Amino acid sequence: MSVKAFELVPAVERDLLMGDKARINIECIECCGKHLYVGTNDCFIHHFLLDEVTSSKGKLTYLAQKLLHKYLGLKKPVAELRAASALERLIVLCDGIVFLVDMVTLESVPSAAGGGVKIRGVTAFCINENPVNGDPFCVEMGVLSSRRRTVQVYMVYEDRVQLVKEVNTPEQPCAVSLDGYFLCLALTTQYMILNYNTGAAQDLFPYNSEERRPIVKRISREEFLLAAPGGLGMFANAEGVSQRAPVSWSESVIAAAVCFPYVVALDENFVTIHSMLDQQLKQTLSFRDGHVLQDFEGKVILASTKAVYVLVPLPLERQIQDLLAGHRVEEALILTEGAQRNIPKDKFQILHRRILQQAGFIQFGQLRFLEAKEHFRKGQLDVRELISLYPLLLPASSTFSRCHPPLHEFADLNHLAQGDQEKVLRCKKFLITYLGEVRSTEVVNGCREDVDTALLKLYAEQDHESLLDLLASDNSCVLADSIPWLEKYHKYFALGLLHHCNGQDSAALQLWIRVVDGELQDFTRSDLFEYIVDFLCSSNLDLVWKYADWALRKDPTMGVHIFTKRPVSEDRAELNPDDVIAYLGKHNQALLLYLEHLVLEKRIQKEKVHTHLAVLYLDRVLSLLSGTPAGEEQLTKAREKLQAFLRESSLYRVHFVLGKMENYEELLLERATLHGKLEEHDKALHILVHKLRDFRSAESFCMWASSCRDSAFQQRLFHLLLGVYLDRSENSPAAGGQAGGELEMAAVDLLNRHGEVFDAVRVLRMLPEDWSLQLLRPFLNRAVRASTHACRTSQIALGLARSENLQVLHDRLKEVKKPIFVSEKKGCHLCHNTFSEPDVVCLPGGVPVHAHCVAQRVRDSPTKRRLTNSSDQT
Amino acid sequence: MKKPDVKVVLLGDMNVGKTSLLHRYMERKFKDTVSTVGGAFYLKQWGPYNISIWDTAGREQFHGLGSMYCRGAAAIILTYDVTSWQSLGELEERFLSLTDTANHDCIYALVGNKVDLTDAKAQLSQDSDGLSEDRSTAAAGDEEERTELQAAPASPVSLSGSVLRKQVTLEDAVALYGRIMRYKGLDETSKLPADKMCFETSAKTGYNVDALFETLFDLVLPSILRKRNEDKESPTVDLEEVGNKRSRSSCC
Repeated sequence: MSVKAFELVPAVERDLLMGDKARINIECIECCGKHLYVGTNDCFIHHFLLDEVTSSKGKLTYLAQKLLHKYLGLKKPVAELRAASALERLIVLCDGIVFLVDMVTLESVPSAAGGGVKIRGVTAFCINENPVNGDPFCVEMGVLSSRRRTVQVYMVYEDRVQLVKEVNTPEQPCAVSLDGYFLCLALTTQYMILNYNTGAAQDLFPYNSEERRPIVKRISREEFLLAAPGGLGMFANAEGVSQRAPVSWSESVIAAAVCFPYVVALDENFVTIHSMLDQQLKQTLSFRDGHVLQDFEGKVILASTKAVYVLVPLPLERQIQDLLAGHRVEEALILTEGAQRNIPKDKFQILHRRILQQAGFIQFGQLRFLEAKEHFRKGQLDVRELISLYPLLLPASSTFSRCHPPLHEFADLNHLAQGDQEKVLRCKKFLITYLGEVRSTEVVNGCREDVDTALLKLYAEQDHESLLDLLASDNSCVLADSIPWLEKYHKYFALGLLHHCNGQDSAALQLWIRVVDGELQDFTRSDLFEYIVDFLCSSNLDLVWKYADWALRKDPTMGVHIFTKRPVSEDRAELNPDDVIAYLGKHNQALLLYLEHLVLEKRIQKEKVHTHLAVLYLDRVLSLLSGTPAGEEQLTKAREKLQAFLRESSLYRVHFVLGKMENYEELLLERATLHGKLEEHDKALHILVHKLRDFRSAESFCMWASSCRDSAFQQRLFHLLLGVYLDRSENSPAAGGQAGGELEMAAVDLLNRHGEVFDAVRVLRMLPEDWSLQLLRPFLNRAVRASTHACRTSQIALGLARSENLQVLHDRLKEVKKPIFVSEKKGCHLCHNTFSEPDVVCLPGGVPVHAHCVAQRVRDSPTKRRLTNSSDQT
Repeated sequence: MKKPDVKVVLLGDMNVGKTSLLHRYMERKFKDTVSTVGGAFYLKQWGPYNISIWDTAGREQFHGLGSMYCRGAAAIILTYDVTSWQSLGELEERFLSLTDTANHDCIYALVGNKVDLTDAKAQLSQDSDGLSEDRSTAAAGDEEERTELQAAPASPVSLSGSVLRKQVTLEDAVALYGRIMRYKGLDETSKLPADKMCFETSAKTGYNVDALFETLFDLVLPSILRKRNEDKESPTVDLEEVGNKRSRSSCC
């Protein structure tokens, strides 16, 4: 648990003080800048100039030069010395008297006119280092008197002392310390805090001052260090609260001081050093006859009875480095963080970061990765420091060199692991997680290439699934460095991705093709071929033309996806279908699929494409026909496809296709369809009925051929079919015999099934006389029903029309039947004479005219129609 | 070091397991501890707040320091050993008066530790984390600890039986809690219910330890908030206050 925090350096040797006079002892010391004053038991004050000398090796020594010594003339020991440098005075306590001497001459200061310079009956005094009074040329002093239970507060001036306050204490005080208004006192049985301004008192804790010498030491603003029962060093602030845990001294402690972050205490034989940060004992120095321990402006000075020493703190960084060297990470960090307020902020940050990084590496070496990672993160470690531990991970192009002095003691991972492969593996796994976490943060700014390349190498080596994620995302892997590494671990697919990342799609494709072709071994993707096809779908056209051929040869069905699944995008050159068709020329199957894609999915309305597809379908059928009969099923399928296409599409060149199948008797159905397309329905039906004798197809043909036409056309087609069935003419090959019966049956079926489309009267005229009624019953039933239905429907329609007509008539009359006024003042519209009698004739629109005028007009008009509309007038 | 917002103090006779309780809670382990010298403290981050938890020395020698530790405390955990009637008695006789310096609204919890020795239900560790490790280290440290206890007057336990006689029942603790509340002059309405503030724990197995500390922390939250508010909105400039604050910040 030990740290070397301090070194004991001699300052004033025995020779310089008392020579060989055995009875003379040091009683007290005071140090002010370079000036050291020593008070002895024979009532002398010695004044030295203390010079710090640093040797070439950095070792600190002190050189003391004696300036003066002065006998005070009281024959008693000099109990205490305090310098008031602003006043150039030393405050001396000797023989119960406090008085002032000049700091330079050591002469007593004579009394000024206004007041005395001596205080008598004093047991102890203290200086307020945090005075409330703002006057720089006076010093505030707390004084304990031997006779009264009081504490007096004095102001010390250059030539006088002045009592400003006196407060009573419940018991006789024996030690005092002062900060602001707060007096911290050791009384006979307890410690207390007393505010001399308000008089408020706060008990701290009991302590028997007669048994053990109390210690009351101001350590910082309103905070005191006190000797507590059981050899404890207790901290207490002005409110009477302890804000730090106590440190554990020995029972015989004489004096204590704080030199942050350490508490230094002196007992009979040792100087003990505790950390205020974790309360642990850090260092013990053997020191015999210890008598005085005091801190002066941050410098801790010790005195035995015969000599003076300085307790020189080792540089903080050295202490921390010592701790780290002993792998005491926690302590080193506590010490560093504890020193924060003593170091300038920017310097502290640099130091803190470095210590954190070193701590991280120590923990890393102990495979305590969680802690290490936390420290690396807090210390903002340059990730490359860590990567550089792993041989060959940093790319050759990296400009990184390790920081100096080194952050750790390891040459590389092998050195660290000492050949333990298990350890190496754990370290690698750690680096994988660590780099994975930091690569998206700003920690890797400026070394992204190094980090990504290292990660890629680790992934490849460890066969890690994230390799592909890394390459699929935005990354900065260095190509030149990664290629051999990926090749070494057969990560060809990944290498292809890397090429792709670097815009070398062609290289990527070549590599993958070699994998698919079995030249290279990489089992990353079992569906690599599909991947390549997908990849080509979105590649530029040059690559498509270059590598599609390979893909089509490998698997035309998949390969054609390069062309059919190509996503449509605005900013890229579109594939020209004609180019593709030309390109696919020698890949029949792919071409077929592509044409199907164009026609069926893209719905391209181009005669050429449709004809091409029809011909390909036909070729397929023809090739199957000429082949072995084994492919019966295939043939059926192929024909169905062909037939469907011939029916659905209306863009192909029918004559051309028809010409191609002219010589094939097997393709009658198709031919019928084509005739249908050409509106040669009689030919089509002839083929269907007489050559194929496929009545169902004939019916379907009629349905299909009339599907987009009006009902009259449909009727015509069905009558045509019926006609073909009933045709008993000499040229019909099926006339008479059994075949004729078959046709008649077909006719009956047709009528019974599709009766509604026929004109029943025409049918009845066509039918042979000898057919039984029973045979045609469904048809007739339906025909009669339909006819009756039609009759009734038309009657209803007629009735409705009449009523509508009546309604209209009624409305019209209502409109017309307005009164017509005739008077003697009104004139006839025809002769413009006035009416003299009530008999008038009304013209349409209710215009009254003379009867004779109308008669005249009718007579003159060519039609000689009589106007009958007349009405009675009043 | 961060400035603590609030203080929690553990009090109780020596060897009742104050340090072990705190250690179990903070480090999630049970390990061999030595008799605490003077006192020690931990800083616990509780949400946005810092809670300082003081572990005090139970030894008579350090008794005088107790009231200083308790000064300004927001919560005090009075700890006894369920296998020692005396340890409960000491709380009332010796430790209760130390709490006079605590805040007027201080919360008191009464905790009977070592309940794993008397109750089977507490023998199972409640920590899911690091269970096996705990078991082994606990077993190693246990021998010494208990042997030491055997000699200690506060807990005369024997190693012969795994389950010891329970000297202090929860009812005894509840009764004491009532007396403490009366001593504090708190009436029925303002005090917290005894069944909520009396715990039986085992630092060895971790039984009820988290519940104890977390209950307390939740209860002191209002105290923290009030303190923060007071610090914030002091309408008059109080020179002493200013000085106090400075001293606090400078020593952390």
